[in-house]
Amino acid sequence: MIEAKGLTKVYGEKTAVSGVNFTVEAGRVTGFLGPNGAGKSTTMRMIMGLDRPTSGTVTVNGAPFASHAAPLRDVGALLDAKAVHTSRTAYNHLRAMAATHSIPKKRVHEVIEMTGLADVAKKKVGGFSLGMGQRLGIAAALLGDPQTVILDEPVNGLDPEGVVWVRNLVKYLASEGRTVFLSSHLMSEMAVTADHLIVIGRGRIIADAPIRDIINGKGRIRTRVRTDQPDQLMQLLAGDGVSVEVQENELLEVTGLDPRQIARAALDSRVMIYELTPLQASLEEAYMELTKDEVEYHSLITTGPSAPVQSGGN
Amino acid sequence: MSSTTLEPNPSRRGAHAGSASSGKLPGDAISTGPGPSFLRVLNSEFIKFRTLLSTLILLACTVLVVVGFGALSAWGTGQFAEEALRDPQAAASFAAQGGDLAVGVPTSGIAFAQLILGSLGVLLMSSEFSTGMARSTFAAVPKRTPAFVAKLLVVMLTAFVVTVVSVYLAGLLSLPILGNYDLKLDLASSQSVKMLLVNSVYVAAVAAIGMALGSLLRNSAGGIMSLVGLFFVAPIAFQLIPGDFFVQTRKYLPGNTVEPMTAVQHMPDTLEAWQAALVLGAWVVVPVVLAAVVLKKRDV
Repeated sequence: MIEAKGLTKVYGEKTAVSGVNFTVEAGRVTGFLGPNGAGKSTTMRMIMGLDRPTSGTVTVNGAPFASHAAPLRDVGALLDAKAVHTSRTAYNHLRAMAATHSIPKKRVHEVIEMTGLADVAKKKVGGFSLGMGQRLGIAAALLGDPQTVILDEPVNGLDPEGVVWVRNLVKYLASEGRTVFLSSHLMSEMAVTADHLIVIGRGRIIADAPIRDIINGKGRIRTRVRTDQPDQLMQLLAGDGVSVEVQENELLEVTGLDPRQIARAALDSRVMIYELTPLQASLEEAYMELTKDEVEYHSLITTGPSAPVQSGGN
Repeated sequence: MSSTTLEPNPSRRGAHAGSASSGKLPGDAISTGPGPSFLRVLNSEFIKFRTLLSTLILLACTVLVVVGFGALSAWGTGQFAEEALRDPQAAASFAAQGGDLAVGVPTSGIAFAQLILGSLGVLLMSSEFSTGMARSTFAAVPKRTPAFVAKLLVVMLTAFVVTVVSVYLAGLLSLPILGNYDLKLDLASSQSVKMLLVNSVYVAAVAAIGMALGSLLRNSAGGIMSLVGLFFVAPIAFQLIPGDFFVQTRKYLPGNTVEPMTAVQHMPDTLEAWQAALVLGAWVVVPVVLAAVVLKKRDV
């Protein structure tokens, strides 16, 4: 279990992480989602004792990482795929790390096999693709067979097959009762990998909830309604927290009421409706909604005339 | 990289171990094996050291250069001795030097050993930061100081051993060359052994200073330039700049501490041997301690 309390990191004038509190529980995959520069990597480096918090604390299984008796056996981390000397071979890198904890060579070979690096283990890491670097980083993280696994953007640069492999691996690790903390800026990846989600933007936690709750966020239940009496239906549905948007002539989009309530209102007033479709917000939409005020680097192109892509599943 | 399988059980630990530790146990209560003791960290640093081809090349270069310069110096000394036999004036100056020129032959390439192994000291630490390896190193040894001390030991011991071997080989090779000119060199004489050991300790000290600079600056070029500045530029600059201050402080530069320690007789205006040893020691201890303290505090 990882626990952060009031965790803050200030670099000069810039606050990278601002008083965050969260708990990463064992036995499930916890996603750490946020746009680039949101403070994900800084938070993870603070967990690993590499960056010193400006204030606040973070502990793994109740103790700061640096005070663990056998750190690699308790916590394994992929923090940066490039955390390797480029002139050393993958095997020698892992062997040197293993030596600090007397981890046998057998285990080194195991993680090499497990991560699919057997063919390149004797090659210099400098020649590795981004994907192979990620696999080596994951191999290093698993070296000590740790109870807690921290992976920073593990699917970056992986081929589709590698993405699926990481997805299955983290789910498997969590099913064994391990604590799995996984960061990404890819919402779609989180939607299929994580059980629980912590969303961060500009160094603050924006959401911390089971993934289902974030997808079905309150006040975000939208329903598409087709009726031949749109004006009348709009009057019927008007109320606190309800917004109705006219999309086309007879097509409305209702937010704030569930389909049953809309159908009941229509039936009571004998207004015919001929389509009633719940629109579940995809995590991507929910994420955009959550982070729209928190994105640090806006791309100018998004202000073009084209409407945002509708990606909600029906 | 095409065939990747998720092993059915990536764990050597039973699956129940996870659930057992889901409670609020102290962090070290669930460790199931040995942690980073100093000997293990030392072993790890030694593996890291010998698995870099560039390191091995630099060590081989040191041996070649020191041995080569020893041979060259033996030939030059022989030529000088031959000259001296013909020219009475040169013979006088040769005699004045006690005919002991040959004893300095094996260590004549020490300036290069110091440059190469000092740079190696810089590189071994700065490359940790430039490649990102430091994040792996200090994730495995989060207390950091043991890893720093282990690396320092590896660097200093290697520099010492490589210098001893190079200088001894240079001596062996120069024996037949000097013999050609009827010059004698006894590698087992107390002065020869003193020259060998003092110079080797000195090179180990330079490597340690290099490592401290590499750790403080975290930059290979900056570290090597600082080292060159301290050992090669500063002595010349101090000699060129007029002023009593520079004359007085010149002898405290680290590069000027070897001569007093190996001199047969104490020369005027230089440090005593024990003073020189203390000065060199301070030149090592101050940057090394500073580097260790800063390393412990700074973000990686």
